[in-house]
Amino acid sequence: MRFGVGLYCLQSTASTPRHPSVPYRELLEDAPSLEAWGYDGLWLSEHHFFYDGYCPALLPVAAAALAVTTRLRVGTGMMLLPLQEPARVARLAADVAARSGGRLDVGVGLGYRDVEFDGKGIRRQDRVARHRDGLVELERWAVPAGATVWNGSATSKGVARAAARGQGVLLSGANPLSLVTDLAAAHRQGWEDAGRPVPPSGARPRVSALRNVWLTDSPSERLAVLDWQRASYVLYAGLGWSVAEQGSTEAMDFRTNLDKAVAQAVDTSIVGPAEVVLDGLREVHESGVDDVVLRVIVEGAPRDAVHRMLQRFAAEVMPELAPLEHSPSSSPLMPSAAEVTP
Amino acid sequence: MRIGAILHEPTDVQAAADAGLFALLLEPPARPDPADTGCIAAAEVASRTRDCRVVVRLLLGTEHPVTLAEEVAVLDHLSKGRVVVLVDPGELDDAAAAEDIGLLRACWSGRPVRHTGARWTVPSGIMAEALGPAAPKTLAVTPCPAQVDLPVWTSRAVDGSDAPVLAERIEEVDARAQVAVGVAEVTGNLEQDRELVRSWADAGATHLLLKVPTPQSRPTFERGFFTGYIARHLQPEVSMPAFPRIMAESALPAILRGARR
Repeated sequence: MRFGVGLYCLQSTASTPRHPSVPYRELLEDAPSLEAWGYDGLWLSEHHFFYDGYCPALLPVAAAALAVTTRLRVGTGMMLLPLQEPARVARLAADVAARSGGRLDVGVGLGYRDVEFDGKGIRRQDRVARHRDGLVELERWAVPAGATVWNGSATSKGVARAAARGQGVLLSGANPLSLVTDLAAAHRQGWEDAGRPVPPSGARPRVSALRNVWLTDSPSERLAVLDWQRASYVLYAGLGWSVAEQGSTEAMDFRTNLDKAVAQAVDTSIVGPAEVVLDGLREVHESGVDDVVLRVIVEGAPRDAVHRMLQRFAAEVMPELAPLEHSPSSSPLMPSAAEVTP
Repeated sequence: MRIGAILHEPTDVQAAADAGLFALLLEPPARPDPADTGCIAAAEVASRTRDCRVVVRLLLGTEHPVTLAEEVAVLDHLSKGRVVVLVDPGELDDAAAAEDIGLLRACWSGRPVRHTGARWTVPSGIMAEALGPAAPKTLAVTPCPAQVDLPVWTSRAVDGSDAPVLAERIEEVDARAQVAVGVAEVTGNLEQDRELVRSWADAGATHLLLKVPTPQSRPTFERGFFTGYIARHLQPEVSMPAFPRIMAESALPAILRGARR
């Protein structure tokens, strides 16, 4: 099991105001630190036209973070592929991948905010076709340059299609473990149904999941962490994000029932001392997840607390879980994200 | 006159920045198709340097100007407000290029954007039905750039744009303009290059971007090409009238001899 950190959204929010250059400076400071502490990846997130400056252009940021590191992978979780010109964005990704020695993970999602499509002059109804065109161009330009393409679908059909194309997935941190289990199984099934080589003879693309994880022995810090996570999910009410009902999983609608949706999302958290975190992450592994992206860059979490926790996690938890490995999966160190993956 | 450099090798970035050049433009890899990935090379320069200006080549006609504006705003924050935008109109005619430049500047202004032109309508209204009463009349392009007013230059004259034009010949320099920027090629021949930079300065250029020879073809200098040659011999030549060359030609202090940069 490998670990990444995210999601870097590079905002300056109403409750955590700061100069808009600060999150960019901190990202470029954090990237070498994460690398030194032993993390495999750093993940970015994209939105447009939002008051807090939510990062609208991930590939320049990825290029900058990769330029100050030598081993760390940088992923887009997710880059909203239909909102960009397919050939150009693929050439940008190819350039980033080539400059970094293939350390770019291009996670792609469809996008869901009508206002973003309207701003770019693109009909939301065209997003699937544009997404398909974008994937073709990424395969043409970015993959030969060393980039790895990841899919951000949040449905069983979507992740199965991604697997059939040979793409890994990164699942949302808000997903209950039952849904994670279903999606991971669908991904493996999609891979096998496509006639792809079954392990151990062949390596399948990886399944990763964002999870709300925090290592602490302090009951008061535990409460504080849950409060930071609550605050971080309020953002998705502002963005208008929701998760449709799927199988046994309830709908999660941050627009119409904020308190319930936030409670559902926060309920996925694994927060506590080492044994609690280890047990929780072993359960995540058993659900079919190969790798985890720690969702710790959240609203209100003080940076020094995040750093302390990440260093302690790297020392106490990562070595215990590193040996966990499902049947052989493909080489890219880290996987990618779901649509909004809060 | 301030001297900067146009580079092709990422490995030159640190040396050029250490030499104190005012700006660096790292060109994207050469390809048969248009080099429209300038923001990636610029991001690398931004993260590897602290003080120099970061010139980003922005090719029009391959992406929506709102997307290009977002990329540049992000770059401006990555560089802590050091971006200079070099707009390349590419295959657009003047009217189209002027519209794109106008829209870009509107996006960087911090004002709500509302644009109707021959090429673009922003917001487009294409999702108005789905958005209903929430359909926006204007667009907030965020984040705003770090700089109060992003410097914008163009690679050729564009009718309808008042941005400084990158002069490729000395005769094109506008000596009355606040910013008159040129581009020239250095060879490594000291007398010839001194004459070159002096000519541009005498013509009224305020900023000169030097195309440098490839690492393989450039002459070797004590402390390297950027510090030992451009910064030691060429920049001083145009930093004051009648630069006393003894300042550049006397022996280096022992501690600096043999330093590669």
